[in-house]
Amino acid sequence: MSTQTAEGQGVVFRKTLGHYSVQALTKEIPCVISSRLRKELVYPTAAASSLRHAVQSVRELEQVDPLAIGDEVRFLDAGDGSGMITEILPRRNKLSRQATVPGQHAFEQVIVANADQVIPVFAAASPIPKWGLLDRYLVATEAAGLPALICVTKIDLAGQNEALQATLAEYRRIGYRIQLVSTVSGEGLTELKQALAGRISVLVGKSGVGKTSLLNALQPGLGQRVKAVSQGKQGKGLHTTTQLEMFPLESGGAIVDTPGIRELSLWEVAGGDLALYFPEMRHLVGKCKFGLNCRHDEEPGCAIRTAVVNGGISPYRYQSYLKLRADS
Amino acid sequence: MKTTFSRSGPRQTFGDFVCLVCKNFVSAETALSGVVNRNHCPYCLASRHLDLYAAGDRLSACKAQMRPIALTQKQTAKKYAQSGQGELMLVHLCTDCGKASLNRIAADDDLESVYRVFERSQRLEAHLKAALAQSGVSLLQADKQTFVHEQLWGRGQTRRTPTLSENLN
Repeated sequence: MSTQTAEGQGVVFRKTLGHYSVQALTKEIPCVISSRLRKELVYPTAAASSLRHAVQSVRELEQVDPLAIGDEVRFLDAGDGSGMITEILPRRNKLSRQATVPGQHAFEQVIVANADQVIPVFAAASPIPKWGLLDRYLVATEAAGLPALICVTKIDLAGQNEALQATLAEYRRIGYRIQLVSTVSGEGLTELKQALAGRISVLVGKSGVGKTSLLNALQPGLGQRVKAVSQGKQGKGLHTTTQLEMFPLESGGAIVDTPGIRELSLWEVAGGDLALYFPEMRHLVGKCKFGLNCRHDEEPGCAIRTAVVNGGISPYRYQSYLKLRADS
Repeated sequence: MKTTFSRSGPRQTFGDFVCLVCKNFVSAETALSGVVNRNHCPYCLASRHLDLYAAGDRLSACKAQMRPIALTQKQTAKKYAQSGQGELMLVHLCTDCGKASLNRIAADDDLESVYRVFERSQRLEAHLKAALAQSGVSLLQADKQTFVHEQLWGRGQTRRTPTLSENLN
């Protein structure tokens, strides 16, 4: 007796340990990835022209998981409400980071695929914003070719914080969009809803900044679990959200909520290209005395260093560049 | 960056370096220099323009050499200190952007070199003096020679004789 299987297409919106939830039209289908596809994606061992599919080489594992939230996939419907993913459609873009296990080589961890914009979320206070981490997010976003919208939450706690305003003005000057919001007072939520409508957006930020609270405020029906930050001096977040998930928005589009990311190591961002991912430095690349060989660190006649000294580039952003360059 | 531990707790300091000018290795060990931020070479007294807003912020992108041009006295007097008895400070001037900064003299600084800076400062160009005066830095003049001597070698002490290597030079 043969079983009839139908093929479908959908978007991965949730995943846990090898199990993927795929949204196909109005249905949510729990899927697994086919072994053949997993081998193709993770262990491409046989040469394509080899008749006997003899092993030509064994590539090291490069990815934590071949599938990411936002991936468009084709699957076989088993008929019992479950499915098997057989093909991943080409990605438009991907937001990645380097997932390292101490003592092992680096893996790529795709946070989300096929997104339209990235929203780095930072709290105006509690936990205090780490601007160096924001610069990392922005570089990862630029490397993915995605626009960024910086979202500053808990603005009701900030009061008249001049240092915060000065820093935000610097990012506005570079050209980044900034949205100040408060889930307590409701300030800025309408504008944020408009910016999210019809797009797939990714919320990224460290633990406790209010990513999930923001999501709950934007769409009250979701009722995702949130916690207050710790009562200590630092006011650190408590890692409440533990898995990536995409939520469709009533206004169209979707939003991907991510667990708090305390560290973000850049993936496939070469040190020599790093200045290209800082929009305010991009137009100066190649104009140094040593041309494209300049590392913009201690070389004489560096156009970027001169711009920092003359006030055209923020010294804090330049320091972020040097730190990222040292890490890459 | 390295972490040192003192009675006031852990403190982030910048590490050892090789002097840009004399190429001597300089240790950032607080026990040797007596200062937390080692900001100039103890041999030739040259410094580097690395700080922008505050000492140790390392936000300056200039990174050019800073040469010692004069001596001054610390302006923020201690509560019980007599007037005019402020600590001796080195005035460094950036050779690229012209920024001046005041730095503490470290315990292991070459005192002869410090004194030579004082002597040279008496012949400093007028426009530099005027620029420093405008930014509130009052340089020690020739009439402060005894004071400088006492600060460097102690009251009633004679200036030490040059070493053999210095004589050969």
